[in-house]
Amino acid sequence: MAPSLLRAQSFGKLTAREVVSRIRENTGIAWRSPTADTFKIGDPDAAITGITTTFMSTLSVLERSVAAGHNFVITHEPTFWSADDVVRDLRDDPLYKHKVNFVEKNRMVVWRFHDHWHARRPDGIFAGWNRTMGWDNFVAPSENNFSHEYVVPETTFEQLASEVQSKLNVRSARLVGDPHLKVTRVGHGGHYISQCMAVLPKVDVLIVFESREWETAEYVRDAVAAGQKKALIQLPHEGGEEAGMEECARWLRTFVSEVPIEFIPSGDPFWRPA
Amino acid sequence: MSKLSVQDLMDRIQKNLGVPWQSQRADGFADGIYSGNPDTSVTGIATTFTPTIDVLRQAVSSGKNTIICRETPFYSRGERAPLFWRSGAAPSTDLMESDSVCRFKRAFISSNNLVIIRFFDNWEARTTDSQLRGLAMVLGWDKVHVVPKGSTEPYRPGNTSFVLPSLSLNDLGGNIRETLKVRGMRIIGDPLARVSKVALTHGLLLVEDLQQILKEPGVDVVVGGEPVEWEAGPYFEDLVTAKQAKGLILIGDQVSEEPGSGQVAEWLKTFISEVPVEWMPAGEPFWTLS
Repeated sequence: MAPSLLRAQSFGKLTAREVVSRIRENTGIAWRSPTADTFKIGDPDAAITGITTTFMSTLSVLERSVAAGHNFVITHEPTFWSADDVVRDLRDDPLYKHKVNFVEKNRMVVWRFHDHWHARRPDGIFAGWNRTMGWDNFVAPSENNFSHEYVVPETTFEQLASEVQSKLNVRSARLVGDPHLKVTRVGHGGHYISQCMAVLPKVDVLIVFESREWETAEYVRDAVAAGQKKALIQLPHEGGEEAGMEECARWLRTFVSEVPIEFIPSGDPFWRPA
Repeated sequence: MSKLSVQDLMDRIQKNLGVPWQSQRADGFADGIYSGNPDTSVTGIATTFTPTIDVLRQAVSSGKNTIICRETPFYSRGERAPLFWRSGAAPSTDLMESDSVCRFKRAFISSNNLVIIRFFDNWEARTTDSQLRGLAMVLGWDKVHVVPKGSTEPYRPGNTSFVLPSLSLNDLGGNIRETLKVRGMRIIGDPLARVSKVALTHGLLLVEDLQQILKEPGVDVVVGGEPVEWEAGPYFEDLVTAKQAKGLILIGDQVSEEPGSGQVAEWLKTFISEVPVEWMPAGEPFWTLS
């Protein structure tokens, strides 16, 4: 046993490692390997003072965590700007140094919770999204992880987009399709065009986030040009997934009571000129 | 009937490129004929960012059967594209064949005997970054372009700096939005930050692009197409929080790359005289709520 772990346990303090161990027990699914859900920086065996859940462990979220007195951050997305948090090529990067210094100076620990939060049933990210939208009662039966579909009371595409943007607290939704189109069937696409092609025939409105602009947006534009009554809401990444980390904070509180737990939003990073 | 065949056109493009033509490389370079026959007579050429159904209709109605484009007709760069994992694998053949949008588009292409030529990687392999040049010209920034002393090619790849009279990030965004008529603009940074030195880029913006750009002293703002929203997007948010840069103005892929298709048309006209050549902008796909 590592000396630090021994020390933490002997004082009865909660560590990040202990929290992760409880998370593994409570997800109700087998732990996968390899997985992105690992410690990214900091000492997992140090005592923790509070937990932040967030979509993206940006420097701003880390600063706000410190201000709130939390030194353990559970993030859905990477900390060091690549899918696997590879830092090999970042050693001389001034921003990397700044972020690492901030974490070390404040004795923080960052752990990623992505793969298993999605793999849980229901998918923790979509459970949070449905709750934030108030769409739990509109969920239509779905086949797999990526085809979450809804039947909502009939409205126009513009009104639906407006409701989505405002409930998710985002500013930068980008839209394809006729604003006056009557819509009722809505579905999440995946990041990739192959995932969206399977969903679009079943819905009036496709919602995507984190999707390359030459893929699904162009596909839906062509669907409209081909005479199909279809539309697209392209959200910032946060708009699709951030609510799921608020859900994560609620869930953590059901089995972690020793320290405060708070969801701190990274928020829609984008704005438009006034 | 013109005497110019599609094969003649391909030969002339390759001859005039200025660098060796490359195709079928493991890391991309999938340029070439996407649909159509090399023996077809070219009746006219349309250049565009992406061959949308609307662009194809315009080409047909103006009597042009050949489209030269940057992005593919079927929405995917495919697995061989550089960095494909940031977009994803191409849809399966089964999915493509059964999909109603793809079927409609394929039928339109074949019933009008259209020829679609992709021209992306080889255009970018030239010693001039014509995508950047096109965008700078449309913005009216050519006269504030910072060209390294002794440089024979002002738009050599990497010559991205432009120095403007100092203004706020919000006003710079507003000016660019007005000039380029961009609807879906997205900005990161403090709207009131004073900025002057801009790095102008186009298309997908990567973390390594930003690292390279920021080695140049004094860059306040980066203008680009789109970032991956777990890579260059949050990297820039962190740069702003750490006070290492002031603003990122995202104008979208199509808006940032389309002027380059205008440059393709101008370049083709220097060695194609048998048929009309016209730049047909695809237009921005998006609108936004007010």
